[in-house]
Amino acid sequence: MTTFLTYIASGLAVGASFALIGSGFVVVHRVTNVVNFTQGTLTVLGGLISYSLLSMAIPHGLGEVAAVLIAAVAGLLVGLVTLSRPGTPAFVALLVTLGLSFLGTAIIILVWGQNPVSPPGIEGSIAFGSVSIESQRVLIVVVTLAVFGAMWLFFERTDLGRAMSAAASNQRAARLVGIDVRRMGLAAFAIAGALGGLAGVLLAPTLPLSVYSDLPLALSGFAAAVFGGLSSPGRTLIGAMVLGVSGQLVAGYINGSFQTQLALVMMLVVMIARHRSLTTEEAK
Amino acid sequence: MLHIRDLVVTYGAATALDGVSLDVEAGEMVALVGPNGAGKTTTLNAISGVVPTASGTIENGGRSAQVPEGRQLFADLSVDDNLRLGAWRMPRRDRNTERVYAVMPDLRPLRRQRAGLLSGGQQQMVAIGRALMARPDVLLIDELSLGLAPLIAARLIEHLREINRDEGTTILLVEQEVDLAFDLCSRAYVIEAGRVVAEGPTDVLRADPQLAAIYLGTAMTRSETP
Amino acid sequence: MRRLAPYIPIAAFAVAALVVPLLMRDLTFVMQTVLSMIVVVGLSLFMGYAGQASLGHAAFVAVGALTVAVLCRQLGLPPVVGLLAAPVIAGIFAVAVGAPLLRLRGHYLAFGTLAVLLLVQLVMSTVPLFGGGVGIMGIPPLLPGGQLGYVYLAIAVLVGALVVSQHLVDSRFGRGMRALRGSETAAASSGVPVLRSKIQVFALSAVFAGFAGALSAFFIPYVSQDSFPPSKSFEYVIMAVVGGLGSLWGGIVGVLVISVLLQTLNFLSTMPGLPATAGPTLQFAGYAVVLVVVLLFLPNGIVPSIQSAWRRRRARLVPTNAG
Repeated sequence: MTTFLTYIASGLAVGASFALIGSGFVVVHRVTNVVNFTQGTLTVLGGLISYSLLSMAIPHGLGEVAAVLIAAVAGLLVGLVTLSRPGTPAFVALLVTLGLSFLGTAIIILVWGQNPVSPPGIEGSIAFGSVSIESQRVLIVVVTLAVFGAMWLFFERTDLGRAMSAAASNQRAARLVGIDVRRMGLAAFAIAGALGGLAGVLLAPTLPLSVYSDLPLALSGFAAAVFGGLSSPGRTLIGAMVLGVSGQLVAGYINGSFQTQLALVMMLVVMIARHRSLTTEEAK
Repeated sequence: MLHIRDLVVTYGAATALDGVSLDVEAGEMVALVGPNGAGKTTTLNAISGVVPTASGTIENGGRSAQVPEGRQLFADLSVDDNLRLGAWRMPRRDRNTERVYAVMPDLRPLRRQRAGLLSGGQQQMVAIGRALMARPDVLLIDELSLGLAPLIAARLIEHLREINRDEGTTILLVEQEVDLAFDLCSRAYVIEAGRVVAEGPTDVLRADPQLAAIYLGTAMTRSETP
Repeated sequence: MRRLAPYIPIAAFAVAALVVPLLMRDLTFVMQTVLSMIVVVGLSLFMGYAGQASLGHAAFVAVGALTVAVLCRQLGLPPVVGLLAAPVIAGIFAVAVGAPLLRLRGHYLAFGTLAVLLLVQLVMSTVPLFGGGVGIMGIPPLLPGGQLGYVYLAIAVLVGALVVSQHLVDSRFGRGMRALRGSETAAASSGVPVLRSKIQVFALSAVFAGFAGALSAFFIPYVSQDSFPPSKSFEYVIMAVVGGLGSLWGGIVGVLVISVLLQTLNFLSTMPGLPATAGPTLQFAGYAVVLVVVLLFLPNGIVPSIQSAWRRRRARLVPTNAG
């Protein structure tokens, strides 16, 4: 029983990081209709930067926050290039972000090489009844839930958040009311960068990240976002948790190396099953 | 208040407006009527700055806000959020939505509802309210009655009359239902194929049988039914 | 005579291609280039007409190679059977994948094909029949003699692919596909069966890819899950985009440009004074710069841009009747 609960717990932690990556996809897609292929690269970047900062004896907390901010700036740069020509179809924009992810890969290899690294996280573990869970994993879940709460507050209760939701909902009307839709798109990319970077920062202590982690992370995050139809952060969170937990259960009881692939199968099943409601649309 | 001279607007090779001139004085309510595709929406869009002009001048003595064709609400957001966003260009402290509920109290119980779930008439009120939030001197309204039952449209016309009377807001109304537009407005311009083909006080235009037959079809039929 | 005009460049290309292998020392490089061309000609056609990106197209190459490996090595069937079965299996696989995914918005197909590629890799690394992680070695040869025979066979397949593609472009189907490119709603209302056409082009591109995979399995008689990684898939997409989507020669030009670029970067990275990571860094940076620059400044790709520039120049030189 305790093993089962341990798997659930680590599944929730992994799922939480998928949820952060997935919500990055959702924010950008809702506001700009673009699927941001650099989401995985931004996640890895966040983890690696926090590793470097902490190795340079920058204190805990500060190093992680700095890494997230740098990832947000990186996200903003991606947005600047991707949205640089108004009227770019979504198909082309996806390929632009693909190209930018290669650039990210090149930079990562140049600075950090190709080997996985893992920064120190929070030591120790917390006991929940008979189950003992690593503190880092608890941290991931707590921070993720807090961030999702903050995102909800941001989009529902602040004027900027409302403006971004408006740009997502009706671009024409947003322009009419005076909202700078392009700036909202850039803000979305910056937020996605922060979300991805945060996922990387939280994950890296438990799961060593390297330049090759970007694709599995992006795919897992995208799979979670697919559960939410690429538009609902709430359902992305649920989907991510389901993916994370089922992945850990499979890893524990059947075989350890299939987590990403299980997520992919579930993603394909969802995409195929929901194809009636996810039909083709013109790019915004 | 609003003075347009020889306005030309092109979309690529097509000319949407071919030298349109019109004037709207402060506090007036003027109608812009004509067949589909005549350039009525384009005129409003040019005034709002949403489409670029090829030549001609637009003199706008005050702030204008547009109530677009088809409402164009933020469907996923609440009524209150929709209204609040109407004041996006205003400083933060001026984004209080109470003013709109005072003018259109029917919206107050709906304030938390998702705008996309409202009826056509309610959505139109939200669209007008959103425009009012910008404290405009000129209200540009595109197809007020589209898809609405006559009773509801008439009710909205009453709201507009109040707004004009109480706030002195100038109104330029584009409308298919000519009867409705002429009930509210004292003057009108008839536009066809990008040009103004007739203008004048609405009672004069109404009485002209030729005009009525060609452009104001509904007006003619209405006055014929017993 | 007009109907044969488009095929003349193909014939010229075939003749030139016959000479090249005799001049080059590195036949492996030639073979890989030709195989990439086979894949990218199909991919470019699909992406150009369907307006969707297939990020996992290497999956169909892998399926082709795996078919040969399994049928010929594991099951002992004659090599020719493997060669002919591979494209068919790849095509069927594409229909199975494409039928649901092509209805969806473009990014679903992009990620969906990528997912399929990773799943194919997974299956290859776990199922013993498909290599079980170590791969399948010792695939029996298709042709006697050395590498040269395979290179010429590949060139023959490439020329065949070009002929088939050209025929498709000129046919009624091709016209329908071009209408699709302009506007899906307009095409649909003029009777073009949108979804079915997309699936057909997708399947055709998979058939080409499967053929290339089969040839590569015979050329280097070892197939494993690492033979066709996602980076290869991305490379195909970059080649297609750079050359020009929906254009036959775009695929050829794109492959040449990227192959030459990679060789140059590879050479540069071995120069003294550069860190060990220079190789992959330059490679990815090269991919990135070329892709982003082309997408933003030459969005139609090299070949179509040259074609339209040429047409504009001719229009200026030829006096118009209107005066």
